[in-house]
Order: sequence, then structure tokens, then C-alpha cells
Amino acid sequence: MSALAGGPGIAFESVDLTLGHTDILRQVSLRVEAGSVHALVGPNGGGKSSLFKALLGQVPHRGQISLTWPGEQPGVVGYVPQALAFDAGLPMTVMDFMGAMCQRRPVFLGLSPRWREPVEQALQQVGMLEKAGRRMGALSGGERQRVLLAQALIPSPDLILLDEPMSALDEAGEAIFEKLLAHWRETRVTVLWIEHDLDAVTRLANNVSGLSRQVLFDGPAAQTLTPQRVLALFSSRQRREEEKEKAVA
Amino acid sequence: MSAFDTFRQGIQHLAEQGTLPASLAYGFVVNAVLAGLFIGPVLGGLGTLVVVKRLAFFSEAVGHAALTGVAIGILLGEPYTGPYGSLFAYCLLFGMLLNYLRNRTGLSPDTLIGVFLAVSLAMGASLLLMLSGRVNIHILENVLFGSVLTVDAGDLLVLAVVGSLVVALTVPLYNRFMLASFNPQLASVRGVRVKLLDYLFVVLVTIVTVASVKVIGAILVGALLIIPAAAARLLSLSLRGFFWLSVAIATISTQIGILVPIELELPVPSGAAIILTAGGLFALAAVIRGFTPSLKGHAG
Repeated sequence: MSALAGGPGIAFESVDLTLGHTDILRQVSLRVEAGSVHALVGPNGGGKSSLFKALLGQVPHRGQISLTWPGEQPGVVGYVPQALAFDAGLPMTVMDFMGAMCQRRPVFLGLSPRWREPVEQALQQVGMLEKAGRRMGALSGGERQRVLLAQALIPSPDLILLDEPMSALDEAGEAIFEKLLAHWRETRVTVLWIEHDLDAVTRLANNVSGLSRQVLFDGPAAQTLTPQRVLALFSSRQRREEEKEKAVA
Repeated sequence: MSAFDTFRQGIQHLAEQGTLPASLAYGFVVNAVLAGLFIGPVLGGLGTLVVVKRLAFFSEAVGHAALTGVAIGILLGEPYTGPYGSLFAYCLLFGMLLNYLRNRTGLSPDTLIGVFLAVSLAMGASLLLMLSGRVNIHILENVLFGSVLTVDAGDLLVLAVVGSLVVALTVPLYNRFMLASFNPQLASVRGVRVKLLDYLFVVLVTIVTVASVKVIGAILVGALLIIPAAAARLLSLSLRGFFWLSVAIATISTQIGILVPIELELPVPSGAAIILTAGGLFALAAVIRGFTPSLKGHAG
């Protein structure tokens, strides 16, 4: 499996992103160590998802983003989005969704034998195999989140981007997520993880960066998330005052 | 087309012998039935993606744009029974421009489609009135509501080519078309070129709509992309069932809509008969779903 080679190191250098007249990211510089679990925390609209988009080359940005892969060829990138936009009444089962994600063969011809085993394994890993025949629209938010995690396991990723994967998970789902994270850490997959649950970040991430349009702090998760820093990160008033001071200077 | 003529004559001969329904003894009926066999499965299958991608209003608008395309074609001197050059050109321009502006403006798709549809219809109505002195305006009824009488070998060729092209592109890209609408970012990570596929889908819907105008009519052609898929959605438990049921409903509706008015000598245009049949099957599907709790899915 490609995961054995490990994930890439990522370097963001002076990344600026402007959409319309709004500065989304300003001079963002941070390093994600190869094979580490790196969390991004910050308020809504702070540019975390935009940083993902910039990394994936989906928005025009200034500055430099470089990935250093351990092998000669770039590895596999997995992505777990926050949500899917589809009609809840669509007759799409969990298996249909997984088939549509993984195989070229049109999903109306069924899951190809080649993909059945990996798909079943991935669903087993997230505890959704017994619900493979359920409609996606009939799943709870947490169950749908587990399916989104399962799709990111095929093919086995070297770099995985997680956009608030725990937001709808119940206790059992959280345990599954923690197990996956431990597996990725063991196999040296690089994990870049947007998360609001600061307790989970402290427990599970190697490093954390506080992002509110710019990097406010960056360091080992266990030591960096101090109450003062968290307050400064999420307090819009304090942020505005700092911005004013900078503008005057 | 000699091989086709031989094939058609064979069917006519079987009908004359009583092996096939008597109406198939007429060449134009055979043409219409074959046209229906091209249109039904393609529109039924593509319609599932139209429903998944929530482009029902768009496909209706492209169908209505065909009205203006016909008017422009006649104005430019194309034959009023098949002004394909203007039809394809105008409808493709309509669809591509709409998709381009959808990406460029902050307007929601339904608002933008509403604007395009209204302007296009106003232009079509104006042009048709200008043409009223030049051609018998009643002939245009065929283009608006469909007519099996005027389907000729050339129309069948257009349908066969367009149908094959749509199938050849849609089948291998079916999953990718769906993914692009579920989450463009995820699709992009998985190697889907989302914007390119958006344009391609618009082109596919447009060309199949234009090719079907002759049989179903400009006013109703968009509906055959929507109604069978909507009915199938009510009765299906998986995407496989959804797709094949939609194909079946569209094909059955097309054949019934073409053959029943001829057999019963009803003065109903083929397009209207096809859509009424599809509408009837949709109503039936809604009733069946109402009485079948398992079709409503499992909660939680």
C-alpha cells in the first residue's frame, strides 16, 4: 500500500488569498510535518477551508505552497468534506455512494467485483457495513459522516484532509475516528485536520495552528492551546482591535 | 439508407401479414416508433442525472429555447420541417451562455434560467409573428407539440448520431457527473474536472433535447427528461433501480404516446400523448409509493 511510504511534508509560505475585496488569508506561513496529525483551529470564516482549497489548487492564491513527498511520485490525497449536497429523497444507498466514489463503471450497473472487498472493508472500519443498503438520505448526520470517512479510505491515502469530521459524530463515531487517526499516525499518513473540538485537538493532534485569516499561533498541540490564545483566536473584538492597531502602525 | 429502407420495408411487410400491429404497415409509423426507441432510453437515462443535479428547470428552458431556434432557422431559410442548424446552434449558445453566467454571477441558477427563458421566449414569439406572413403558422404546431407524420430518415439519422454520442459520453462519466454535484471539492480531489463536466452535461442535455424536438415538440421535450426520472425516483430503493426504471418509463411513454393516437385515430399530437402517458405513470408511481411504506426508506 502506498501509505507505507508515508505522507508528505507541507510548507505554506506567505500565502495570501483574496476573494472579491475580502482578504481571506493574509501572509499565512506554516509547516506541516510529514506523517504528523496537524490541526487547524479558528473561528468560522477564519479561512481554514480556504486554506484547504488553496492547498488543492482550487483557488488562485499568492505565496507558495509546497508538498514534499517521500517517494518520487506524489501519493494519494484523501478528503473528507463537512457535508454532501444531495436530495435527501434520492434513492442512493450507502453502497451506491461508495461505488460512485471509487469506480469508473457507472453505478447503475452495480458495484464491480474488483471494488466490493475494499468498499466493504472501508465500511466495516467505520462501522457502517450493516447499513450498506440504507439510503444516504435516511442516515443520521453522524452515520453520513462515517460514510464520508469511509470513502476517504479508498484508495489508501498518504495525505488526508479532514474538514470538521467530528462535528456530527456520536460517542461511538468518535471512538472510530480516534482509531482511524491512530492508524494514520502509525502508518505515517500526513493528516491536516480542521476541528472545533479543542479538547480532541489537544488529545489527538501533534501540532496545532490557530488561523483567523492569519496564523495567530502554531506549535505542539498539548502546549500551544492555552486559554489566552484560544480567547484571542475566537474573540472577534480583540481581533478587530489588533487589526486596527496594525493598520495605524 | 438502403439498409434502413430494407429494414423498414421488412417491418411493414410483417405488419401487413398481421404479425405486427396494423399501423406499422405505414412507413411513417415505423419511423416514429424507431425515433421513440432512440429517444426514450436516452432521455430516461440522462433524466436521472438531470434530477440528481437538480437541473429540471434548466432542461425545460433548453426545450423552450428550441422554439426560438426554430424561428431563427426558418428566418434564415432552413426547411421548417427540420431547421437543425439553427436549433443546435441557438440552443447550444443558450445553454453554454447560461452555464457561463451561472459560474460568473452570484445569481442563483433558477433566477438566471428565469431571465434567459423569458427573454428567449419573447424573442421566439416576436420572430414567429414576423414569420407568420411567410409560412403557414399552423405548420409550426408540429414543431411546438411534436408530430410523428414528419419524422423522416434524416431525422432518424440525427437521432441515432446524437443518441450514440450521448450514450458514449454519459455511461463512462455517469459517476463523475453525479460526484461533481454532490461536492465539487471532493470530486476535484478525486480527479473530476468539475467545470468541464458541467459544460459537457449542458451540451449533452441540449443536443438530445434538440434532436428530440421533432417527435415530442419544443414545448414538451424538456418534460421527458424529468417526468420518468421523477416517477422512477418515487419507486426506487437504489440508483440501479432508479436508472433502469426511468429508462423503462420513458421508453414505454414514448411508444404509447406515438402508437395509441394512431391506433385509436385520436387527433392528439405525439408530444402531448407522450407526456400525458409519462404523467399518468408518475401519478401511478405516487399512488404506489403512498401504499408501500418500504419505499419511503428507513428512518435513522
